[in-house]
Amino acid sequence: MTFHNGADLPYSGLKLLGKIGDGGQGEVHAVGGPGDLLYKNYREPHKVDGSSLAALVAYRQALAAADRDRLDAETAWPLCRVLDAGTVTGFLMRRAPATTNWRTPKGDTKLIELSYLLREPKAAWQAVPQPEPDDRLGIAVALAGLFGRLHAAGLVVGDLSQANVLWTLTPEPAVFLLDCDGIRLVGRPAVLDQADTPDWHDPLAPAGTATVDSDRYKASLMIGRVLMRDPYAHPGQPMAPLSGVLDDRREAAVRSLWARAAGPYGSRPDLGQWQTALAGRETIKLIAAAPAPRPAVDRSMFDTARQRGTIQLNGRGGPGQPG
Amino acid sequence: MQILPFYLLCDESGSMTGDPIEAINSALPELHHEISTNPTVADKTRFCLIGFSDDAKVLQPLVDLSDIEEVPALAAGGLTSYGAAFRELLRCVEADVASLKAQGHEVYRPVAFFLSDGIPTDDGWEQDHKDLLGSKYAPKIIAFGIGDAEAATIGQVANFRAFMQQDSTVSPAKALREFASSLTRSIVRSASSIPADGGSGFTLAVDETVPGFSTVSLDKL
Repeated sequence: MTFHNGADLPYSGLKLLGKIGDGGQGEVHAVGGPGDLLYKNYREPHKVDGSSLAALVAYRQALAAADRDRLDAETAWPLCRVLDAGTVTGFLMRRAPATTNWRTPKGDTKLIELSYLLREPKAAWQAVPQPEPDDRLGIAVALAGLFGRLHAAGLVVGDLSQANVLWTLTPEPAVFLLDCDGIRLVGRPAVLDQADTPDWHDPLAPAGTATVDSDRYKASLMIGRVLMRDPYAHPGQPMAPLSGVLDDRREAAVRSLWARAAGPYGSRPDLGQWQTALAGRETIKLIAAAPAPRPAVDRSMFDTARQRGTIQLNGRGGPGQPG
Repeated sequence: MQILPFYLLCDESGSMTGDPIEAINSALPELHHEISTNPTVADKTRFCLIGFSDDAKVLQPLVDLSDIEEVPALAAGGLTSYGAAFRELLRCVEADVASLKAQGHEVYRPVAFFLSDGIPTDDGWEQDHKDLLGSKYAPKIIAFGIGDAEAATIGQVANFRAFMQQDSTVSPAKALREFASSLTRSIVRSASSIPADGGSGFTLAVDETVPGFSTVSLDKL
């Protein structure tokens, strides 16, 4: 069994080791064999757009090696489709890195979801690492970088929420995106109907739609909530970053973008602007190029209304004399 | 914040002695673990534990499960007063909803999981039940019967869904573990559809079937 060329695999060839997760759209199983891979099995295969899933697999295959490594380090991207008798039943993906797990008091492991980053720590999940202010900024930077790269590649993420982004501080602040079969190439239909998470929808987007603009809104929501440590903050409310996370320059830039994210389609800040704001660089106001001076116009060259006489043709008047 | 309060009304009459009561007591840490390590669910739900036998006692007042580290254990003894349970639930629901609202929350209609292993030993419980369901914040009741409970009574208690332990093939302890898992799933799944604010509703996601139980049709009762 190999997934390296992205070719479809038969379901019968999978060695499923046990269910490790259960979501609305399907179940996730561990798969025996090399690579510590996972298999997502769709609950309703007949609703799956197999060609859109193939397009996601092809997107990864077409990347240069370094870009593909980066994608694999940051996302659980579909590696190849799994088919049973010609029907797409699911796909293989990588397991999230061990550094995005935490061990519960009971001894089992859970994923370090973004939700833990958005709240004051509680005793029940005290084993989840607590970020220093610099780490929190680092995670916001990682989020802006990841979504910025996906957008630059012409991808729409769709469902950005606290449950499908994992994070770690080890060895440095980083994020890992789950549920990547919800991503689509711009202009293509989604693999399955667009999923939305309560508290993470774009108020201006019709339900069930996903656009670059709604992605920009949700990314702003996510970055803002991380900076504020508030799971329910939204643009339109004041930006109140957690103390020590942003210096003055960054805070001013973040406030401005946060306010703009509440605006209409086409005006939400893009991820590049978030990256600039979080990088804390001073920005230089660019002077718009002055228009080139217009040449003087010789009006005589244009046709204008003018006085015309008539020419008498019977010889009674001189030529050119008005009659 | 929009809050969905859950109440567990658990029969702790003498007949629950031994494995049944132990099954519930050992399932409560599991329930606490699932909810308290899921901040999104903990934010939007509250949990209250009421034990009833001769009378009814609030063992754990309504709480965010991520705020507690221990809970009083159920202890078996006495008779089975359904009336006391429904009166106590009504009192709690009215006080709790008022208190949550005073804290600035919006409150969904409470959900009560009712569990009994026997027939009611008090007369007149039907009137207490009627008062509860006729009240302003009448909860949605999901009723589970094990042991000597009667399907007709369990079906009468429920106004949302009712389940009876499948006889002999399943032990009460095993059925109770399934009951607790089903309760946990209901809390997690229901909370996952609740927005923090805004007027939209949510889906009360209670299992249609529970392993070890047969579903009692409410329509036929």
